[in-house]
Amino acid sequence: MLGKGGVGKSTVSAALGLAAARAGKRSLLIEVAGQNRLSRLFRGAEVGHEAPAQLAPRLFGVQVDVEYAIEEYLTGQLKVRPLVELLTRSRAFHTFAAAAPGLPELVTVGKIWTYAVALREDRRPVWDQLVVDCPATGHGVALLETAGNVEEIAGGGPIRDQAARIQEVVSHPAATGIAIVARPEELAISEAVEAAEALRERGLPVAAAVLNGVRGDRFRPDEEPALAGLAATADGPPSRAAAAALRHLAGQRADEGYRRRLAEGTRLPLIELPELVRRRFDLAALEELSGALAGAVSRNGRP
Amino acid sequence: MIEAVERRRIVVCCGAGGVGKTTVSAGLGLGLAHRGARTVVVTIDPARRLATALGMEGLADEPRRVPAEPGLGGAELWALQLDAKATFDRLIAREAPTPEARDRILENRIYRHLSGAVAGAQDYMAVERLHELVDEGSFDTIVLDTPPSQNALDFLDAPARITRFIEGRALRLLLRPPLPGAGLGRRVLAAGTGTAFSLLQRLTGAQLMRDLSDFLAAFDGMYDGFAARAKAINALLRSPESGFVVVAAPDSESIGQAVALGRRLDDDGYPLAGLVLNRVHPLPPGGLAQPEALAPALAAAGAPEPASLAERAAASQREEQILALRDLDAREALAGALEGAPVTEVPSFEREPVELEGLGDVAAALAVAGRAQRAASTPS
Repeated sequence: MLGKGGVGKSTVSAALGLAAARAGKRSLLIEVAGQNRLSRLFRGAEVGHEAPAQLAPRLFGVQVDVEYAIEEYLTGQLKVRPLVELLTRSRAFHTFAAAAPGLPELVTVGKIWTYAVALREDRRPVWDQLVVDCPATGHGVALLETAGNVEEIAGGGPIRDQAARIQEVVSHPAATGIAIVARPEELAISEAVEAAEALRERGLPVAAAVLNGVRGDRFRPDEEPALAGLAATADGPPSRAAAAALRHLAGQRADEGYRRRLAEGTRLPLIELPELVRRRFDLAALEELSGALAGAVSRNGRP
Repeated sequence: MIEAVERRRIVVCCGAGGVGKTTVSAGLGLGLAHRGARTVVVTIDPARRLATALGMEGLADEPRRVPAEPGLGGAELWALQLDAKATFDRLIAREAPTPEARDRILENRIYRHLSGAVAGAQDYMAVERLHELVDEGSFDTIVLDTPPSQNALDFLDAPARITRFIEGRALRLLLRPPLPGAGLGRRVLAAGTGTAFSLLQRLTGAQLMRDLSDFLAAFDGMYDGFAARAKAINALLRSPESGFVVVAAPDSESIGQAVALGRRLDDDGYPLAGLVLNRVHPLPPGGLAQPEALAPALAAAGAPEPASLAERAAASQREEQILALRDLDAREALAGALEGAPVTEVPSFEREPVELEGLGDVAAALAVAGRAQRAASTPS
């Protein structure tokens, strides 16, 4: 899940994970930006970075912590714990970590990759589906292209080979599908259109656009005159209700324009999610969104 | 809010992604220009219509004057969009001791990835561009819209991060083993770090370490210049000549981040000028219409299906009230959390403020002095 900050990426990710789990898939929600939203959404769950925590039946969540993932990686490579400590404590290593472009991104995407390829004892995948809540657009695209870049700049050596294996999964349309999330707002739509272009240029498998927070088609155009007539009468609850209805109608029309721009600009299948007006976004709201998402996906075919 | 940042040379707008930093930056810039300050707004990634409104088509790395419109009067507002790669290239060109050293860096494979693709480079370049504009001295006020990042304060740490990396003494030492004639101390140090080096090389392969070595070697003699720039801009950002504006949207998560950000700024000695609560839904006056009372009124106005329309209109009115209540919760959460920092509210506009006219409305809302906050512990 990729998109501008504030468009509801985390919420949509959680809704997708919940829908997949309900459909019988063992699903893992992966939080990359480290804002701990999952722990807040699923009350009582403690989502950390060491092991996936259960959030609902068949639904698990985990965070990716760069430092922890680096140590884990080094332990896997060097096998000997004291060597890992020697390396992570040396100043040279920290300079290397700061200077090697994209190392945090590589380690992050590498960690996600290990979840993607993890197998059970019977050789079946541990996870049927991973839902990755990416950081905001620019950082998210950097994350997805980083293994490809490393493959290119590293020349030879183990890191290059690992990067190539990671990139094979990230860039394969049968393995990975990138969904670009937007809201019906000027900036979010233009950023989504640009992201679709950037991902295609880099050969990354962009699969769908999600328009989150669409104001439903609540009013018909032929109802406008009556609403306008009532709104123009003396101030009071009825005229104010008519004015609120007119504002919704205007929003409805604006959303139609955004929907068209997103679909035409990204040339992607569009999944629409309704705006849920809540004083507090809680688990019940998430379930409603998850149901709407499942419905929209089944109408659209596989995104 | 505008009054609180007037006569400051640098105004930094920060906050989580998606709260409307760019719009608030542009609104502040417009308001300051109206008050006679020659102002430039440094935007990071404006939406196309906003860019058009500000007179920028495509990447405009140099300030361009916002076309004078009736709404702008004689005010001088300028805008530019950050081009991180161009800024980085200029910095290298300025700091490199020789043209050869400059070219060695600009053509290095690692540099090309570092300056273009890596997300953190944008943070650093935003600060560097700010430095350039201060040096040029052609503006009274520079309004900086900060880049979207995982941590809203990443950009403040960026200069220190980059100087640490340029410094890279330990790594350089290991990458270039000392000559036999080198002093004993240096040889001992090299022997100690030799193990770390061979471990790293086992992981990365020799080629990457060689490229990295070339890259770091190319920065020889530039460290002092980088460190001096980082120090100078940091001192300016902490001085009363700067003002930080924290932007928040009225939801609990954004509020939490804004409060954390405000505290961190305060703790680290950056002058917090105030908070902006953006896109606030006003509480509608009076009570809600009952569908039963609404239906006859709609029928009288000629509605085709008054009963159903009344239900739906009442739902819209109820939703507006819910949004207003949600925003009240946010306002409560913000009040008192940051003692002394005034909060200015910008209403949620029916039409997104992406044209100069809409920005004028934002500027007008920002012109209202922020409510000074009551102290959290001492009820007034």
